[in-house]
Amino acid sequence: MIPSLLVAVVVLWIMVVALTIAVFALARQIGVLYERVAPMGALMMDEGPKVGDIAPAFNLTTLAGTRIQVGAAGPHSALIFFVSPTCPVCKKLVPVLRSIAQDESTWLRIVLASDGDEGKQRAFYAQAKLADFPYVLSSDLGLAFKVAKLPYAVLLDEHGRVRAKGLINSREQLESLFTAKDLGVESIQEYLQKA
Amino acid sequence: MAVDPAVTGMLAAALAIILLVGATQKWRDVPGFHGALDRYGLLPSGLLRPTAWTLPVVEAGAGVALVIEPTRVPGAVLGLGVLTVVTGAVVINLLRGRFDLGCGCGGLEDEQPLSWGLVLRNVVLALLLGVTLVATTARALTWIDYLTVAVGGGTLYGLYVVANQLLANRPRLLRLRYSA
Repeated sequence: MIPSLLVAVVVLWIMVVALTIAVFALARQIGVLYERVAPMGALMMDEGPKVGDIAPAFNLTTLAGTRIQVGAAGPHSALIFFVSPTCPVCKKLVPVLRSIAQDESTWLRIVLASDGDEGKQRAFYAQAKLADFPYVLSSDLGLAFKVAKLPYAVLLDEHGRVRAKGLINSREQLESLFTAKDLGVESIQEYLQKA
Repeated sequence: MAVDPAVTGMLAAALAIILLVGATQKWRDVPGFHGALDRYGLLPSGLLRPTAWTLPVVEAGAGVALVIEPTRVPGAVLGLGVLTVVTGAVVINLLRGRFDLGCGCGGLEDEQPLSWGLVLRNVVLALLLGVTLVATTARALTWIDYLTVAVGGGTLYGLYVVANQLLANRPRLLRLRYSA
């Protein structure tokens, strides 16, 4: 074979390998960047009862069989957390909810809400060991808060007023609801835009 | 039509790496893969555990068979079988509208949710597997062909990894766009 062609092939291979590695590194860095600049707080969809409004009250029966008031004034604030057995992120957030229920037990009660086929709901309830939480099934509740995407959370204060709400994907986003309540803003996005 | 043996060898090497890496990533996290299968919602819970173990075994078997010349054809057929099954599972869930599901491919690829891009990726892999089934021209291989097979195979694998990274980046970009 002609030596110059041989040399060319080897040199080109070296460059192709180097370029492939470089492209991968760049794609990876872009991925990390996208992840980092993603919205910090819980994303709020501007639908349903506004922050500051009195939430609609519901009288519901939990899967455990007890009756509870959702959305009514009471001694504690309430976090209504909308989940579904078919939502992977919801399962991931169960331990987070458990620890928050413990840490914030002085002022907060967590209610899990869902709707749909009761058999599947009960299987999910047992599998994810959700017996510590009141778990209610009500399509009306979801409709009242215009829940479009899961997992979705609504934070109500002791007067039954909506204090913060949004789509939740992580512990940080869930905690951003509490921060939003403390700061008296609708969502962390609104706070960042004001700042 | 016949394909040059160096090209077939290069494709077989790349596909073997893809299959073997995929299998080891699933083995390293069997509970994770088990959970991913569960979320696909296609198998009764009794079949999840056996599938979580056997699918990577078949995947690895196909990968090993592909690199050994005499078993290349059964290896490619086995690989096509695995690809058809998993891509079918992805398509069913996409048709169910479950774009939020993790792909459960293991390792780095695991960051990506299901998408039609993932299906396209698997179709390309299947086409390349198909090329390894085509008869090769009789030609004596020299050392530079071995270079083509080894480095070319490795580079193709690199491009596969890049494609996966870009597939994983896409939903993150969309999220940014719609939240801004």
